[in-house]
Amino acid sequence: MDMPPILTENLVSAAGEVFEMMIGQSIEPHPEQPHQPPSGWGTHVAASVSFAGHRSGLVCIHTSLDTANTIAGAMLGIEPEHVNGEMPDAMGEVANLVAGSFRTRLAQHEPASAIAIPTVTVGSDFATKYAADTARVFYPFRMGEQSIYFELLLMQR
Amino acid sequence: MRILVVDDSSTMRRIIINTLNKIGYSDYAEASNGREGVEKLASDAIDMIITDWNMPEMSGVDFIRAVRANDQTKHLPVIMVTTNAAQEDIVQALDAGVNNYVVKPFTPDTIRERIQAAIHG
Repeated sequence: MDMPPILTENLVSAAGEVFEMMIGQSIEPHPEQPHQPPSGWGTHVAASVSFAGHRSGLVCIHTSLDTANTIAGAMLGIEPEHVNGEMPDAMGEVANLVAGSFRTRLAQHEPASAIAIPTVTVGSDFATKYAADTARVFYPFRMGEQSIYFELLLMQR
Repeated sequence: MRILVVDDSSTMRRIIINTLNKIGYSDYAEASNGREGVEKLASDAIDMIITDWNMPEMSGVDFIRAVRANDQTKHLPVIMVTTNAAQEDIVQALDAGVNNYVVKPFTPDTIRERIQAAIHG
């Protein structure tokens, strides 16, 4: 199953808007990067929000731990080295904002979907697997010198 | 002006408070849901409310209804800040008594404009 372009376009727009407005950071698509998060990141953060309704699936943000701390610090107005327990909640809020903006944008073209609460996973040796009959695409971005991957997963109805 | 910020996400409360500081409002109180917001209003001198919609225990819409039903608080300006952007959501919030509505994500300028409109509107 291919990813419908309307989903790709709206996820990319939503992600850029959230980072610009709520985090004060510009992100740029970076298709030259590997098309999925690298295995050499060490500690990896995955913040996801699922959606259901007219379409069902999941939006997930993948970063290294350092990048997650940079994002949390920028969002909360503190230095990244001083970010500690705030990071999971901050990354969950970023996922919530991106998924919420994505849903709002899609609702201008089709019946709205509902979004769930965020889930944040932090670890150094894990992989995410999903059921069959899903389309799964990673969108590589750069925030300065740091890599961010937005993942969109769409279940076949 | 003392502003009560009601949101179940401590991260979002901090973002809103940082935003308020940036635009010149440094006096604030916090609550993590509508029920706590009602308690805070009973014990604190609040001049304006900024509230989320989706919260446990008491939602933002139910909180606004409680604010409007109380003679001591019914005059307070209320701004809702939420990801709920559907037209029917906005109508429901306005029916409950919200003065202004902000869809996340937002900029400091948007919050400043909505506060000014709520004060003067």
